[in-house]
Amino acid sequence: MEQSWRQAKSMFAAMLSVPLFWLVVFFMVPLGIVWLYSFGENRGLVDIAFTGTWSNYARALEWDNLAIFLKSIGIAAITTALCLVIGFPVALAITFAPEKVKPWLLLLIMLPFWTNLLIRTYALIAVLREQGYINMGYHWGFDIVNGLTGGALGEFHALPLMYNNFAVVFGLVFVNLPFMILPLYSTLDRLDRSLLEASLDLGAGHIRTLFNVVVPMAGAGIASGILITFIPALGSYLTPDLLGGADALMIANVIEAQFKRANNWPFGAALSFLLVYMTFIAIAVQGLIERKPAGSRS
Amino acid sequence: MSANGFNKSRRSLLAATGAAAIGISFGGLSACSQGKKAAAGAEEPKLNFYNWDTYIAENTLGDFEKASGIKVSMTNFATNDELFAKMKTGKTGYDVIVPSNDFVTQLAQANLLLPLDKAKLPNFKNIDPGVMSPDYDPDRKYSVPYTWLTLGLGYRKSKMPKGFVPDSWKYVFDSDMFKGRIALLSESGDLVRLGAKYLGYSVNAVTPEVVAQVEAMLKKQKPNIKAFHSDNGQDMLIAGDVDLVIEYNGDMMQAIADDKDKDLAYIVPKEGTQLNADCLCIPVDAPRPDNAHKFLNYIMEPQVGAQIAEFIGYATPNLAAKALTSPEYQNNPNIFPPADVMAKCEYAAFQGAEKAQLYDAAMTRVKA
Amino acid sequence: MTASVKKTPPAPLEYFRRWPLRAWMVVVTVFLYGPLLSLMVFSFNDSKANVVWRGFTLKYYEKAFNNSSLIEAFGNSLTIAFFSTLISVVVGAMAAIVLWRFRFAGKSLFNAGLAIPIVVPEICMGVGMLVFFAKVMPWPQDLPWPLNLGAIIIAHVSFSFPFVAVVVRARLASFNREQEEAAKDLGASDFRALMDVVVPHVQPSLIAGALLAFTLSLDDFVITFFTAGPDTVTFPVKVYSMVRFSVTPEVNAASTILIVVTVLLTFLALKFQGSSALTAGHDGGAAEKK
Repeated sequence: MEQSWRQAKSMFAAMLSVPLFWLVVFFMVPLGIVWLYSFGENRGLVDIAFTGTWSNYARALEWDNLAIFLKSIGIAAITTALCLVIGFPVALAITFAPEKVKPWLLLLIMLPFWTNLLIRTYALIAVLREQGYINMGYHWGFDIVNGLTGGALGEFHALPLMYNNFAVVFGLVFVNLPFMILPLYSTLDRLDRSLLEASLDLGAGHIRTLFNVVVPMAGAGIASGILITFIPALGSYLTPDLLGGADALMIANVIEAQFKRANNWPFGAALSFLLVYMTFIAIAVQGLIERKPAGSRS
Repeated sequence: MSANGFNKSRRSLLAATGAAAIGISFGGLSACSQGKKAAAGAEEPKLNFYNWDTYIAENTLGDFEKASGIKVSMTNFATNDELFAKMKTGKTGYDVIVPSNDFVTQLAQANLLLPLDKAKLPNFKNIDPGVMSPDYDPDRKYSVPYTWLTLGLGYRKSKMPKGFVPDSWKYVFDSDMFKGRIALLSESGDLVRLGAKYLGYSVNAVTPEVVAQVEAMLKKQKPNIKAFHSDNGQDMLIAGDVDLVIEYNGDMMQAIADDKDKDLAYIVPKEGTQLNADCLCIPVDAPRPDNAHKFLNYIMEPQVGAQIAEFIGYATPNLAAKALTSPEYQNNPNIFPPADVMAKCEYAAFQGAEKAQLYDAAMTRVKA
Repeated sequence: MTASVKKTPPAPLEYFRRWPLRAWMVVVTVFLYGPLLSLMVFSFNDSKANVVWRGFTLKYYEKAFNNSSLIEAFGNSLTIAFFSTLISVVVGAMAAIVLWRFRFAGKSLFNAGLAIPIVVPEICMGVGMLVFFAKVMPWPQDLPWPLNLGAIIIAHVSFSFPFVAVVVRARLASFNREQEEAAKDLGASDFRALMDVVVPHVQPSLIAGALLAFTLSLDDFVITFFTAGPDTVTFPVKVYSMVRFSVTPEVNAASTILIVVTVLLTFLALKFQGSSALTAGHDGGAAEKK
């Protein structure tokens, strides 16, 4: 598949230079500063000395913080799984929609996300809260049933939809869904349809075709969808902050507090980079798993 | 935080004044340019003002431009922490900022504030002599007092038992009376200090042992807490998600003013509370310090201060300005608590970054 | 999914015509739009508190339109999103093509480097940008608009273009290299073959990537907050400082305007570019498959 860079030097140089330059100068350098902070110590209120200490990491790995890490991973994983389950049929439907409709369907998925995240989250509060639309509808239905049956259901209790972990997951799915749908669509759209037809012709049902043909072939898209959803979900802090209850603390909330309230940038940097290292390990593992079947196929 | 409806008519009057001011500045261009000439000096007639949202009267900036020729461009921040994080690296381009008392100390200790040139601020004479040398800024070296505020409990009257008033921090910190119906402030420093206050300590005597005590108390209380809110407790109260919240008096005042059912109320608990003061300061590397001084002095004009105070509904430390305000404002116990309550209130001092980290670590464990 | 076949059955692969998928699309649409519609409706609510309906009013639109700093923030946001998207798509596509096409020393390193912007917590990157633009490469304060937005645009491209690269690469994985070879056999230069054969193939992913980059830029608060100066406030930063205290219908009104403006702009762009351009890309893809 690939070509050695020596075979087309000028094009290679032209194509690589810009992204590489951007990545190094406008990303690696700013981030490198923060990375150095993670080995630093506070000197007074403003200055940070690079002492090469590991104490920030040691503190980040204490059980209190690890527990929050694990909880955040759990919430992000549930969110990603839900996004996949909800998003896959949508991507499938868009893929097989008439060509003229496709761009509009894509737009339909993306449009809500041009509203500010904060506004969207506040909009969700109005839906989920105790006197929100869902509970209002529930109350209305409840009263009707009660009226018909003479109070068989007893006293009305609002559904606890807000200020708990359910609300956090709901909010994260609401916010991250298009990050799943777009890459899924991008891969599904290039599937060789003749293979699907062959599968159906040979008597496999739609469900079997889906799981035995479509899903394996869309592996790369699913993987990038999972990655691109999981990571922002893991790093979210506004959603748990606004929708969560008394125990809704995710790792990004702790990180944010270090950079602002606690004014402890070195510790915040260490926590952030722990997240970075962990994700790298996850990407590497995922790469290893992916490489094997891909290699055997080609 | 903006309008406090207890004085609607006055507000519309102010708005009309503002509109008239705009009309004048469009109509009388010559007058305007004269003003500019007077103000010019060495600095360009411009000022970058970094303020809390809706924390100034609508006509103030326009009037100031008319009077001095200096055009103010105001942008907003939402918390002191954000302000400090941005100021930390310097070179922000702001000329005037509005930190709270403990952050005045913190910014000053970090050498991020410009010492004020008192000769350029004759209107300091209007300020209450009692706040001219506070602990957080001795001799007002860096700060002009702007407003002061209290933390207290906002509640819904109809959800309380008959005749009951939640007059103690107990009901949010140490009681299951309102199980699942209370929301606490998520700001770790304020919350730990208020917890200490409930336990009988001064907000400035919070040792690591006291922090541990407060932490244990909050962990025990956690099942009764609906949420930790980030300064939007009044919204939760209005929406009926909770019946009792810790909030700032100004936020609650606005909620009470907008509440058509007259069902909301605010109280400073009997144990006393923590006071906060917001101040005007000039960053050490402000591009236009001269304009900044002119602006600070203008804000302390009695008439200007009075307009701002009534518009934003917070307590003013400017005695000359207070004298010009309406009796409704002057006699509002939610703005100016009675003397016996005030006797039990205190300002929280900045006690170093380690203390802030200690508070934050404790609250992280509570919320985990 | 095993949809009972109707009287005039859809063709085997016309999943879009099958009712379970259609129903699902409707459900997802309601899920995505319900909260936003309620937000829009409440922008007409005659009450400061955003909870109970108190009657119809337009006064919050009047307020939003008279709020010059809000309008300015609005313009800044759209400008930044436009430039950031443009640069991100070009840089991201280049990165994807390099990674897909070439074998070179340090490739896995480059690949990993591209993953970092996706992985790093926003706040961490925000602080990095704050220090970078304060100490390493100070961005002049008083540049004329839109040059004063440069620092924010740079920061936005940094976190957007890797997303574009991911999306484009997923699409490239399906590309049949023989086509490019064929083009070159027919005498096309490397560059020509790339522009005429590869780029049309990845066009859907370029559009998807552009949508993603536009969204990320328009939505970003944290990194922008740390990069923004006195004259470069964006819509999210402005709104954030407004809603921290209380959500007033003015904010709803402003958001409604933002939604309407972006919808209009997108529709215009699609019309102007011609949705035929979009479908042409797809047709090309379809033709190639057959």
